[in-house]
Amino acid sequence: MEFDWVRFAEQLVNGLTVGSFYALIALGYTMVYGVLTMINFAHGEIFMMGAYVGLYSLNRMVDSGLYESNPLLAIVITFIAGTAGAAITGVTVEKLAYRPLRRAARLAPLISAIGMSIFLQELIRLLPSMGESITGIKIGGTFLLPEGVRNAVVGFLEEFGGARVKTYPGVFSTEGFHLGEVYITYSRVIILGISIIVMIALSLLVKYSRMGKAMRAVAEDKDIAALMGINVNQVISKTFLIGSSLAGMAGVMMGMFYLQIRNTMGFIPGIKAFTAAVLGGIGNIPGAMLGGYTLGLAEAIGVQFLPAVYKDVVAFGLLVLILIFKPTGILSEALTEKKM
Amino acid sequence: MIDKINSQFKKLQERLGPKAVWVIIGVVVIGVIILPMISFPQRAYWVRVIGFTGLYIILGLGLNVVVGFAGLLDLGYVAFYAIGAYTYGLLASGQFGIHISFWIVLPLAAILAALSGVLLGIPVLRMRGDYLAIVTLGFGEIIRILLNNLRGLTNGSQGIVGVDDPVFFGIEMTSGTHFYYMIFIVLPLVVFLVTRLNHSRLGRTWIALREDEDVAEMMGINTTAAKLYAFGTGAFIGGLGGAIFAAWQGSIFPGNFNLMVSINVICLIIIGGIGSIPGVIIGSVALITLPDILRQFSDYRMLLFGFLLIVMMIARPEGFIPSRRRKLEMHEETNPSLD
Repeated sequence: MEFDWVRFAEQLVNGLTVGSFYALIALGYTMVYGVLTMINFAHGEIFMMGAYVGLYSLNRMVDSGLYESNPLLAIVITFIAGTAGAAITGVTVEKLAYRPLRRAARLAPLISAIGMSIFLQELIRLLPSMGESITGIKIGGTFLLPEGVRNAVVGFLEEFGGARVKTYPGVFSTEGFHLGEVYITYSRVIILGISIIVMIALSLLVKYSRMGKAMRAVAEDKDIAALMGINVNQVISKTFLIGSSLAGMAGVMMGMFYLQIRNTMGFIPGIKAFTAAVLGGIGNIPGAMLGGYTLGLAEAIGVQFLPAVYKDVVAFGLLVLILIFKPTGILSEALTEKKM
Repeated sequence: MIDKINSQFKKLQERLGPKAVWVIIGVVVIGVIILPMISFPQRAYWVRVIGFTGLYIILGLGLNVVVGFAGLLDLGYVAFYAIGAYTYGLLASGQFGIHISFWIVLPLAAILAALSGVLLGIPVLRMRGDYLAIVTLGFGEIIRILLNNLRGLTNGSQGIVGVDDPVFFGIEMTSGTHFYYMIFIVLPLVVFLVTRLNHSRLGRTWIALREDEDVAEMMGINTTAAKLYAFGTGAFIGGLGGAIFAAWQGSIFPGNFNLMVSINVICLIIIGGIGSIPGVIIGSVALITLPDILRQFSDYRMLLFGFLLIVMMIARPEGFIPSRRRKLEMHEETNPSLD
C-alpha cells in the first residue's frame, strides 16, 4: 500500500486543530497546578460549562435575529458569554471546593475536585428536572410561583441543560481553500489563529504584567509571597479566572466545530489536556501549549499507522515514554523538579 | 457548622469506647453471615448489594496497600480488576472453548494481575505524586481500550458471555448467595493478609517510602523493591476481585471496567480513612451500599455523591476512621514544621 500523503497532511491539519483545544485546556491545568500544586479534576467540566453557556447565548442570538443581521457580533457575544460562564464557574469552584482545603493534605483537594467534576456533570444533566420540581412546589393546593414564572424558569433550564445531546447551530461553513492537494477549511484556520493569539497574550501577561509577576511569586512560595504583600487568595482567584476563561473559549470553539455537546463532553478532552500539560512540563505555561500541539499531532500521526480507536493509546503511550525518559516534561524547569 | 459536626463525631467516638466497637463488629459479622439465610422482601437484591460492597472492600484493601501504605497515587486500579476478570473470562467460557476450574484460575488471575502490576511499576518508578496518578490513569484507559478493540481476543464491546460457574465440591455456584459467601470468605483472608503486611518489615518500609522517599533511600531502604512489592500486592488483590466478579456476573464487558471503578475505589479509601483497614470497610458501605440503595429512589444520587465528596473533604479530610498515624499527618500543617 502506498503511503497516502494527502491524507497524512490532512491529519496533520486536524492534529493542529485538536492540539489547539488541548493546549487551551491544558493552560488551565498547568496554571492551577503552578499555584496550588493540585490537579483540578473539574477543569474538563468547566470547559463543558463554557460550551453550554455559549450554546445558550448563540441560540438567543439566532432567535433574536442578531445572528442574521450581524453574525460576527453575535459570535463575539457568544464567545464572551461562554468564556464568562466558564470563568464564573471556575472561580466559584475554587472558592467553594478548594479554598477551604488550601492547608489540607494533598489528596483532599484531588478528591474534592473529583466530587466537583461529578457534581457539575450531574447538575447540567438534571437542571430541567430540578427546575420542574422546585417550581412545582405547592402551598395549600396553589403553586407558590405564578404560571408565567414557572414556565419561564423551566423553559430556560430545558433550553440550557438536560441529559440529551445538544446541537450548536452551524456557524462555521465548510468552505476552505486548497493548499496543494490538501483541503483546509477556514474554520480550522480561525481556531488555530484565535488559540495562538490568546496564548501569546497570556504568555505576555504572565511574563510582563504585575499580576503575572504576583502569580509566579505565588507559584514559587505562597507564604513568602504573602509576606511580600501579595494577596494570595486574589492571585489564586485570578489564576482560576484566566484558566477557566481559556477552557470556556475552547468549549465554545469545540461546540461550533464539532456541533454536538453533552454533559460528559469534558472528560476525555480534560484527561488529554492534563496529559498535554504533563507532557510539556506541568506548571510551565509555554510547556502546556507545546504539549497540547505535540499531543494533537502525535495522535494525528498515530492514527495514520493504527486504527483510529487507538488514538487514546497513542496519547497515553507517548506520555509514558516521555515521563520515563524525561520525567519533568519537554520544557522542564527548576520549579517542576521541585514539585514533582 | 462543620466544626460542630466534627466535635459531635468525636464525642460519639469517645462515648462508644473500644468495647462497643467490638460489639458492633460482632453484630455486623453475625448479620452478614445470617442475612442470606433469612427470608425478607427483596432478599436477592440485598444479597447482591451487600455482596458488591464486600467485593469493593476487597478492591479497596488492595488499592489501600498502594495508596494508603506506600503513598503511591494509583488512578488506574481498574486495570488489574479487568485483567483478573478477563483471565477467568477467557479461560473458562465458550470464547475459546477452554474450561479450566475456577479454583485454578483464581490464583492464576491474581498472579497475572500482580505481574502486570510490577510491569506497570517498572516504568513509573521514578515518578511521584500527580505524574504517577496520570500515568496510571492512562494505563487503566489503555487496558479498557484494548479490551474494547482486540476483538479476536476479548470479543470487543460484545464482551464475554456464558462464563462458567465455579464448582465447589460438586455444588455448582450459580446463585447470588453462593458468591456472597465466597466473597465473605475471601474478604477476611485479604484483611488478614494486608494487616500482616502492614505490620511487617515491608509494611514499615512502605511507611518510610510514603513519608519521604529520599530519606528512606538514605536509610538504606531499597525503594525500587518496596514500590514494586506495593504495586504487585495491590494488583494481586485487584486480580482476585476481578476473577470473582467475572464468575459471579457470568458475563463481562469492557464497559464494566471504566475509570469510575478506579475513582470509586480511591474515594472509598479516602472517605473511610486512608491507610486504615476499618476505614476501607466503612468507606465501601458509604460509597457502594448507600448510592445503590438510593438508586431506587432518585435520579439525584450521583449529584449527591459528588456533593458529599466535597463536603467530606472539607469537614473531615482524614476520613471516618483514620489510621492513627495518618490522622496526625492530616493535621501536620497546623503544627510548626521544619519544611
